[in-house]
Amino acid sequence: MAVTGVGSAMLPTLQALSGMRNQLDDLQKQLASGLKSDTYAGLGLDRGLTVGLRSQLAAIQGYQQSNTLVGVRLELMQTALTEFDSVSQQARGTIAQSQFTLNGGSQTTAQVNAVNVLDQLLGTLNTSVDGRYLFSGNDVTQPPVDTADHILNGDGTKAGLKQLIAERKQADLGGDGLGRLSVGAPGATSVSLTEDAAPPFGFKLAGATTTMAGATVSGPTGSPASLTFDIGATNPSEGDTVKFSFNLPDGTTADLTLTATTASPPGFGQFTIGATPGDTATSLKAALTAGLQNLGSTQLAAASAVAAGNDFFSADADHPPQRVGGSPPFYGATTLVDGSATTVQWYKGDAAANDPRTSVTARIDDSVSVAYGARANEEALRKAVQSVAVFAATSYSGSTTDQVAYNALQQRLSATLSGGQNQQKISDIGGQLATAQVALQNTKDRQDQTNTTLGNLLQNVQGAPSEQVAMQLLTLQTSLQATMQTTAMLLKTSLVNYL
Amino acid sequence: MGISAALNTSLAGLQATQTGLSLIASNVANAQTPGYVRRTAQLVETNGGYGASSVRVDGINREIDQYLQRQFRVESAGGSYANLRAQFYSRLQSIYGDPNSNSGLEAVFSDFTNAVQSLATSPDSTAARSGVLNSAQTLAQTLSLSSSRIQSLRLDAESGLADAVKSANEAMQKIADINNQLGGREITTASDAALADQRDAYIDQLSQLMDIRTVTDDQNRVTVFTNTGVQLVGMSANKLAFNAQGSISADSLWNADPSKSGVGTLTLVTPSGSSTDLIATKAIKSGTIAAYIDMRDNVLVQAQDQLDSLAATMAQALSGTTVSSAAAASGAQSGFDLDISGLQNGDRISLTYTDQPSGTQHRVTIVRVDDPSALPLPATATTDPNDQVIGVNFAGGVASVATQIGAALGGALQFSAASGKLRVLDDGAANTVDVDSFSATRTTTTLADGTTAFALFTDGAAPFTGAITGNGSQTRGFASRITVNAALLNDPASLVLYGAGVTDGDATRPTFMLDQLTSATFAFPAQTGIGGVNSPYVGGLSDYLRQVLSMQGASAASASSLADGQQVVVNALQQRLNDASGVNIDQEMARLISLQTAYGANARVMTAVRDMLESLMRM
Repeated sequence: MAVTGVGSAMLPTLQALSGMRNQLDDLQKQLASGLKSDTYAGLGLDRGLTVGLRSQLAAIQGYQQSNTLVGVRLELMQTALTEFDSVSQQARGTIAQSQFTLNGGSQTTAQVNAVNVLDQLLGTLNTSVDGRYLFSGNDVTQPPVDTADHILNGDGTKAGLKQLIAERKQADLGGDGLGRLSVGAPGATSVSLTEDAAPPFGFKLAGATTTMAGATVSGPTGSPASLTFDIGATNPSEGDTVKFSFNLPDGTTADLTLTATTASPPGFGQFTIGATPGDTATSLKAALTAGLQNLGSTQLAAASAVAAGNDFFSADADHPPQRVGGSPPFYGATTLVDGSATTVQWYKGDAAANDPRTSVTARIDDSVSVAYGARANEEALRKAVQSVAVFAATSYSGSTTDQVAYNALQQRLSATLSGGQNQQKISDIGGQLATAQVALQNTKDRQDQTNTTLGNLLQNVQGAPSEQVAMQLLTLQTSLQATMQTTAMLLKTSLVNYL
Repeated sequence: MGISAALNTSLAGLQATQTGLSLIASNVANAQTPGYVRRTAQLVETNGGYGASSVRVDGINREIDQYLQRQFRVESAGGSYANLRAQFYSRLQSIYGDPNSNSGLEAVFSDFTNAVQSLATSPDSTAARSGVLNSAQTLAQTLSLSSSRIQSLRLDAESGLADAVKSANEAMQKIADINNQLGGREITTASDAALADQRDAYIDQLSQLMDIRTVTDDQNRVTVFTNTGVQLVGMSANKLAFNAQGSISADSLWNADPSKSGVGTLTLVTPSGSSTDLIATKAIKSGTIAAYIDMRDNVLVQAQDQLDSLAATMAQALSGTTVSSAAAASGAQSGFDLDISGLQNGDRISLTYTDQPSGTQHRVTIVRVDDPSALPLPATATTDPNDQVIGVNFAGGVASVATQIGAALGGALQFSAASGKLRVLDDGAANTVDVDSFSATRTTTTLADGTTAFALFTDGAAPFTGAITGNGSQTRGFASRITVNAALLNDPASLVLYGAGVTDGDATRPTFMLDQLTSATFAFPAQTGIGGVNSPYVGGLSDYLRQVLSMQGASAASASSLADGQQVVVNALQQRLNDASGVNIDQEMARLISLQTAYGANARVMTAVRDMLESLMRM
């Protein structure tokens, strides 16, 4: 049975005692936890401040975690770029210096090795961290580049680079190997060059110059363009030259210089001065045809392979690879068509038109972002992959013209690998990423500092300093003991005891 | 004869001392009895004959200071009011969690924003996506758990009220009974004094439940009134009636109309059967009952409103998309065309226009309302204090919307339907008014419609659009119903893929979420107690949460210190009351000694009388 009321006269004293007892318990709790209170109410006037501090601290800790992650990604990107750069530098040296000695098959040792180099380059571009590909722009779950085997040899029904080069070669050289030009004789003393109606393919006439007195050059004019060289009424003197200039599909130019000679038959690049200008023109026409065939199988073939490389490597999800239109053999092809359905797509990452850096951004602090995206098809990276791939994809028979063709390709590829003045370099990408790294590091430092400062402040506000609490505890203990003793004494002093 | 007079007188003296002794005995025995008032015998002198004065016990005095008693009752009502509020506030505090733990509302919200932040850094990461969903679920569960705990506190207040009413009725009945027993006579006997003690105890009990006033009439009857003057007890007791509700949700609010009230109301029923609603008339301002009512109808309702506003603002921050208008013109009139086709029930259209040439700008908020019984909307339907609010039923199509707005707004602006869009035009050449802007906020209810906004949180299975119906706003009680969109749980990739052609690494949507959660600002309604009606609180979600926690903490701390202060006052009064009316053993013992002496003296007189009589007999 609960007894109520007994001792009601002592109630206030009892309440004071139990109040002190509660304070004692509370102080003990504070001493144990090191914290002032376990409710917002108990934190006192600074409670608003503590909520703010904690949310700021939580945000900073969140940023610190994700910034570490961003830092790791940037490190890995830099490592990948450094390796990519060194591999591509080596490749440039190898390509420039390799000798045309076929390695038992149809390729030089350097070409055979180029497949391995290509593998290395593609491997660094496929660098991933925690399932996230770093060179795919913002399509981070997609490996950015296909394998070297698929790129070179195709994937099932989809054609690879080798097939594109072969097709393009057919289209550029034409069936007769004259580079889609026809050589004619419009007059008794003249020869003419006329382009085939094949816009992207073959030689394009740029012009002709001569040292012959009385000779005239007309054109190139018309569509398809045509150029006529007329020897005129007088025969050329020995040593006179005529130079025909051509634009090649990869943007380079080639010249064919023919020299007048009295020897008959004429040597390579020469034509015999005949009895009449008409006879000379006949010899000139023959020399022109032979020269074109030679230029076609050397310079044009190399330029064609490079152009095929451009068609293949400029492709991404938004830009289909360009294939020679029509059906094989492609000697009469006139157009390039969308080949996305039938061609391997080497780059599979994000294809947006914006700056690759901005394709991935990270918020590293309130209102501070860094852009650190990269795409494997950025100019510097693509050129390296493309050059090595084209080098690895071409093959030769070992003839003298093939050696010239090989050299022409070597020149073109090593020039591409060296890069032009206003072209992006791998170090440019690295430099831009380094800017992001610096910003990240600065932010990290600031956050560490803020974290410490705010943490200390929070500790000051909500923490219970053990010295202070211990002192309060002792004081309270003393006064509690005093109260208890005096209460006991008071209760004992009753008249009842003295009657 | 003088001797016998002396004998009688000393006999009377013995009797008086015996009465005194018996009173001391009862005082000492009841020293610890609550409500016991120290009694003393009131002695009067009577004529004992032969010029002698005898003594008689005229009555029993209850040593009570009525002014002190009255003050004590007032303060003890205040004390129990403050005490109960402090108790409820302290329980409410526990709902918000330990500030240092990671399970409190604040920590859970921080976790959610941090998870979104991680997702913004690694949108492709499955772990980051499920991290966002998990923390969103934890947040939704914490909100709904906190809501249900607030509502269970309200239910506690409801049943506490029922108990308090029962106990008040009992006390009132007893007071009336004792009034009848004591009515019309002076307290002369110990049993009467005991009855009076009991009546005082019941009045004390009642005074803890509510603030009362007592009037004692010359017939020794006590009439009890409420402080507002409603009589509770006279010769008969009125009855308090309380219809306690078995369950309480966020929607259950008190209403003067019993058919609309979701919680019990307190009525006073007179024996004749007439009744008064004590809550509507605000008759009870202090004591336990007032504290329960305050908690149930104000403090806890506001706490729920605060959570509801947080949940609603957060849900809408993530699902709201601004629909912009296109410039339109017709002759000299210029204005805007706005596509209102996708607007949901509760979505808003904002219009600002300027009167010319005064340059006064006006804001109008047009709200889609599907429930006609909610129309017209009050101005408080939006947080903006200076806008004109128009509720519009969209059922009749764009033309009907235009007509409704035109009718509600009047003036020179023209509203019409123009190829499926809502068009507003100024008055052209007259140039008395210019349209400044016209836009809408649309709630996205799907996951991937090509906008960064999406329905991360839903109201149960239904989308949350802030719809207003005849029963109130969808916001009320939303914190108890908020859930993470079930479709999203089945398809976490939608946290990133906001439309066709969006890649897994696209951080657009996570960044949008992060911005909305951390840096975007919103206006919060005045009913949350943060900010006022005329200047609503505008801030980010975490700032608002900080204000809520800070305000609740401050309220709880002040309730607790108020209770402590009041306790001191009550204790002091109790002490003084004890000193004045209680039994002091020392005092009683001292009087015992004097009574013993008096008894001995009286007996000595009797012995003297006997000796004298014997002397006479021996003669």
